[in-house]
Amino acid sequence: MKNAAVASLLVIFAIPLLIAVAELPPFGDPDAPIHTHISARYIEQGVEEAGAENLVTGVLLNYRGFDTFGEVTVIFTALAAALAVLLTSGGVQYFQEDRPPAPPKGADESERPPTPVSPVVLFVVRLLAPFIGIFAAFVILHGHVTPGGGFQGGAILGAMFIVLTIVLGAGKVRPRLPEPLARWLQGAAPLSFVLIGALGVAFTGFYLGFPPEHSLHLVRELMMVVLEIGIGVGGAAIFARIFLAMEAD
Amino acid sequence: MIEWPHWMAIVVLAPLSGAVLTPIVSLRDRRIAPWFALATMTVTSVAALFLIMRVAQEGPFSYPLGAWTPPYGIELRFDEFSAAISVVCLVGSLAILCSVRYTEWLRELAKPRIPYYYALMLLNLGGMIGFMITGDLFNLFVFLEILSLSGYALVAVSGERTAEMAAFKYLLMGAISSLLVLFSVGIIFGITGSLNMVDVTTRLASVAADATMPAVLALGALTIGFMVKAAIFPVHVWLPDAHAIAPSPISAVLSGLVVKVGIIGMLRVYQIYYGSGILDLTVLNQVLLWLGAISIVMGAFFAIFQDDIKLMLAYSTISNIGYIVMGLGLSTNLSVIGGAVHVFNHALIKATLFLAAGAFIYRTGYRTLTDLRGIGRAMPLTSIALSIGAVSIVGIPPTAGFLCKWYIALGAFEADQPMFGFALIFGALFIFIYYIRMVNAFYFQEPIHKEVLRVEEAPLTMLGPILLLAALCLIMGILGRIPLTFIEPAALRMLAPLGG
Repeated sequence: MKNAAVASLLVIFAIPLLIAVAELPPFGDPDAPIHTHISARYIEQGVEEAGAENLVTGVLLNYRGFDTFGEVTVIFTALAAALAVLLTSGGVQYFQEDRPPAPPKGADESERPPTPVSPVVLFVVRLLAPFIGIFAAFVILHGHVTPGGGFQGGAILGAMFIVLTIVLGAGKVRPRLPEPLARWLQGAAPLSFVLIGALGVAFTGFYLGFPPEHSLHLVRELMMVVLEIGIGVGGAAIFARIFLAMEAD
Repeated sequence: MIEWPHWMAIVVLAPLSGAVLTPIVSLRDRRIAPWFALATMTVTSVAALFLIMRVAQEGPFSYPLGAWTPPYGIELRFDEFSAAISVVCLVGSLAILCSVRYTEWLRELAKPRIPYYYALMLLNLGGMIGFMITGDLFNLFVFLEILSLSGYALVAVSGERTAEMAAFKYLLMGAISSLLVLFSVGIIFGITGSLNMVDVTTRLASVAADATMPAVLALGALTIGFMVKAAIFPVHVWLPDAHAIAPSPISAVLSGLVVKVGIIGMLRVYQIYYGSGILDLTVLNQVLLWLGAISIVMGAFFAIFQDDIKLMLAYSTISNIGYIVMGLGLSTNLSVIGGAVHVFNHALIKATLFLAAGAFIYRTGYRTLTDLRGIGRAMPLTSIALSIGAVSIVGIPPTAGFLCKWYIALGAFEADQPMFGFALIFGALFIFIYYIRMVNAFYFQEPIHKEVLRVEEAPLTMLGPILLLAALCLIMGILGRIPLTFIEPAALRMLAPLGG
């Protein structure tokens, strides 16, 4: 009965959605407004104007850079939200010293010692880690030319850190990053946007502007690379911190 | 100074970058965090002040980010409705000041969380400011995400089990509403090829004239999405728990400011759809009118039966948002002006009430009217502030609540819908009943707990903001015409295509 009610409710909501979506311009129609209005200029002049051979990066960092600033702030918000809800009084030292006490007897499942990591996994992860790191650096630094960029590279870098933590244990990786540095890195993405954006005021008269003159294209490229590094490193630091906070929970 | 264009960028960048810096500066000593956040909000308030002075002088103006001419880049656009950022700055700063003592006292809030509490607060305020000044639909969604995400976390921050449940309920409803908003932004982009609000308005009329069904769907999904954020009946169910359980300074921000984001969002949608003239909005207005009226009566009705003071205030928020939505639905000049100004006034009033209630909880540890009996004798100043807030929320002249409700009621009679005018008065009567209950408990009933009589007055960092807000409730009642005349051009411009 309940299922039937839910199903009929879904159908009732789906009908207007389907009718309206059917009236949208056909997919791939070259005359659709999405292809003729703004994106037409992005495609025709984007490489020249925005200074990135990868058009997606051109839109992401230049035409609509402010949205990207918002998105990296959303990622930082996720970190602040996770830490505001998960941090305990042990604080940041939790990982090294205040390991939670062993569970009381009776919980026979968790009493067993953890399964040791297989030497094969250990070897492969340690072997691959430098390659993953180099690949992440490539994706970040080359993002304005080929597909990729800070978000993707940051995800790879963060994944590398998480895999290493799982296999080697938190204690081995974590102490290498002092807390002040870690906090600066976690804020790297929004802060790099603020700095580069302020530089844009000097070049174009408006926040987040990139110099359009051809003579300054190296400056423009450098600004984009700094942003990409900020997004990548900041993203990776935030992924890793959220992972550690959840692991401690 | 007023003409300097970059205030526009600073007013949103200051709180957001301040939020990122808060955990860094308070690494050594977490007690720095609130003062750093307050300094950030001071910079933001100065920028907001200049922007509002400029819009009063020359009307709406825009700031092209990255120097791209709209619609190719993102445009920030400041109009009279954006002036709501003034109350975001004011209430936000005062809530931060109240948090100084409150967060240290709140036992469930583990101390290392405190810098992130302020970071989330700044993110929330910055997100709201960005939402109110952007002129781009996708950018609107990005800021909606910043402020929603920080809002969910701020409800859960106290770490109680019930708080987590309330935050999760809020998150589920909020995620659906964000999804609806994003979906409609996509549809609007699909039929117009543009995201800039001004550009979309003109292109809806020309390019999308034959695609009315998608336009209707986008309008519907946007309205429902923003209705969830504004907590209008029947999608209000997340609000009472979330607003009552959050720490009191957070309740003031959530109830006074964050629900208004839904209203500002609806105003933006109206600006686009009225301006394009592509659809006849009579049906939508009728729906909003009814839902607003139901919210007024239902919110006030449930408020009467609450013993928990914060739960009572949370229900009264639903009722007051009902007034604003009814003002929009009536779509006459007077009612829209009244509704838009109530966005401002209700924020002041509700912040007074929640911060005063928070001061009681801070001093006594009790939160129900029964337990708090006799508190009026122990904490006279806070109680007076709370009473002023209560008088304002009923709408008794000469307080801040009166003029806007009067305008909405006049609008109802002007639109020849006197029934809704009576619904409004009926709701005010209900509110009056729970106001009487509150005053009765605080001043006239015999206290149940003797120690309630021995508590001290609230500390200065709480008492100062509470008294300031209470004074503003009175001042805005006496100077009530200023915001009404200020907002008038925007309302007239929005409704102009109706010939109204």
